[in-house]
Amino acid sequence: MPITYYIFLAVALFSIGVAGVLTRRNAIIIFMCVELMLNAVNLLLVAFSKMHAQNAIAIDPAAVAGVEAQLFVFFIMVVAAAEVSVGLAIIVMMYRNIHSVDVNFLNRLKH
Amino acid sequence: MSIFFLLLQQELLLTAIIFVLLFVKLSTKQWNSQTVLSFVNILLVVNLAAGFFFKEKGTLFGDMFQTNDLLRFEKNILNLGTLLISLQAYNWLLKHKHAIEFYLLMLSTLLGMFFMLSSSNLLMFYVGLELASIPLAALANFDLDKKRSSEAAMKYIMSSAFASGLLLFGISLIYGMVGSVNFTDIAVAASENPLFLFGFILLIAGFGFKISAVPFHLWTADVYEGAPVAVTSYLSVISKGSMLFVMTSVLSTVFANLLFQWYNIVAVLAVLSMIVGNLFAIRQQNIKRFLAFSSISQVGFILIGMSGANIESHSSVVYFVLVYLFSNLAAFAVINVISEASGKENIDDYKGLYKTNPALTWVLAIALFSLAGIPPTAGFFGKFFLLLGGASKGNYLLIIVAALNMVISLYYYLRIIKAMFMDANETPVEKLAISWSPKISMAVCMAGIVVTGIISGAYEYIYSLLK
Amino acid sequence: MGAASLIVLILAAIAFSAGAILIAKVVTKATKNKQKAEPYESGIPTRGPSWVQFNVGYYLFALLFLIFDVELIFLYPWAVAAKKVGLLALVEIIIFFFILFMGFLYAHKKGALKWK
Repeated sequence: MPITYYIFLAVALFSIGVAGVLTRRNAIIIFMCVELMLNAVNLLLVAFSKMHAQNAIAIDPAAVAGVEAQLFVFFIMVVAAAEVSVGLAIIVMMYRNIHSVDVNFLNRLKH
Repeated sequence: MSIFFLLLQQELLLTAIIFVLLFVKLSTKQWNSQTVLSFVNILLVVNLAAGFFFKEKGTLFGDMFQTNDLLRFEKNILNLGTLLISLQAYNWLLKHKHAIEFYLLMLSTLLGMFFMLSSSNLLMFYVGLELASIPLAALANFDLDKKRSSEAAMKYIMSSAFASGLLLFGISLIYGMVGSVNFTDIAVAASENPLFLFGFILLIAGFGFKISAVPFHLWTADVYEGAPVAVTSYLSVISKGSMLFVMTSVLSTVFANLLFQWYNIVAVLAVLSMIVGNLFAIRQQNIKRFLAFSSISQVGFILIGMSGANIESHSSVVYFVLVYLFSNLAAFAVINVISEASGKENIDDYKGLYKTNPALTWVLAIALFSLAGIPPTAGFFGKFFLLLGGASKGNYLLIIVAALNMVISLYYYLRIIKAMFMDANETPVEKLAISWSPKISMAVCMAGIVVTGIISGAYEYIYSLLK
Repeated sequence: MGAASLIVLILAAIAFSAGAILIAKVVTKATKNKQKAEPYESGIPTRGPSWVQFNVGYYLFALLFLIFDVELIFLYPWAVAAKKVGLLALVEIIIFFFILFMGFLYAHKKGALKWK
């Protein structure tokens, strides 16, 4: 399959994630949208990795290419988990204080 | 093998300190918090001093990690700042249940910044960046019983997660066009390919969030106001400073081929940051919010220096971050003392401060003079070199805008100085007894402001490191 | 071509998205109710405050599990390369597990693993 399809899919997923972060007011859903953005990135990285590996193999059958992108995906997954767990812990703290996860209640700090 | 330890000296020492603190926390003995805090501060002094003794340079981990004289110097600057913040936070942490956790989180972020600075690979850069930003959210939440503290943490973690999402999408596009995440390969392959440019712009957006340049600044004021004072100063000096170091070197080395493209982006960010930061700083009532917007406008000036993209402008950015560290930390030291003793954080509360606390007033006044860039202080020379670096491109319009903004900023910095020295106040902050640790911190900051300004060696030393 | 088409594209994009938002604003009836602010908008409405019935142990366990579970992802690339790298790989994974174990000990010391 040509790489452009993967790019379109990843851009679409990423845009949905961005739109969700910008429009939703619920903290948990915002984190879900951030995950969507990161997964779009993972998809794109794996697709590009495959593309570069194929290109390299076409020139030299013994070549190894595109490994670093797959490693990158592992790191993104772990970091995303860390980010979400810190975020969820903060959401729980916030819930104890203001009994809601709606970020509009956070407007007190505006201006 | 020994070269491994020599190259990684700063990172390994910091890791060792983190583990020692973890062992202290895990031990069954209940340590006296005063002992623990003095112990930590001694460790930080050792950490700072040890950084000056090693000169080895080279790369490690298959070209993922690099170190050289400039990077060592930048890490020493960050070590110094962390030590100063730790001294300022002493009294606050003495009363806090989780003092050791504060250091665990803060030193972890510092470690992340070190790896980010030393990265010569986008993967190492990303991991360092995240290590530097995730624990900061937990730090912002460190006033556990205060509502606004957890609000600040919430805003920080959300905007930082969003920013790293943008940055990662940029990285993945750059990887797709180049086929490698190594900085050297990217520098060779950097081209005007549309997808590459798109990725590059997203990367700059990610940078912009971390240094809180306008229009990516929206989280800054809220987080600065809500977080504890020590964390605010850490965010505004160490976190921002490390990101500025990285951004300067990445833009001028990795993306040197795209100079024409990023020059315009950086110039627009600089002008917007200066104008918006200044205009919002004028109408602030809370002094932490005020310093947040003042730091946004300082970032605008630094971006002007960055846009020069030569050795002079690079060293001017490093020099200004050093000066900014001293000036901003001096201001935060005073705010920390007053906020700790009386809980007052509004500019109106600072009226008539000179009558009760002349020493604190002078420290804050000199710090604000330095931030405003008034001649005998280091801030003037810092801004002068920045503008000189930016002027090397011949874009004098940018320099004129910057000069106008310096005048505006003078107005609001002097407003606070006038409030402290001249305005009358019926309920001024009472006379405060300042303990030794903030005193040392303030003395170092004052010495730094005077010495780095008067002795021209500082700038020339940084310049010699870059050559 | 070139710049002009790009400008047209940007204007069209702005007009399209602004139009969609405006039409949605005009046509739909804006409902503001408490359900919008709930963690999950679908499903049965909760009765009474849901927080008090929620055992805080669940959330601590979930977070700890999430972290330690995901960290093990690094074992896959390690296992692929371990044979080629040799003894150094063993040392590295021991350091890695030592760091994880310290985190685990910290959680244990904090009492996060006790079922309350």
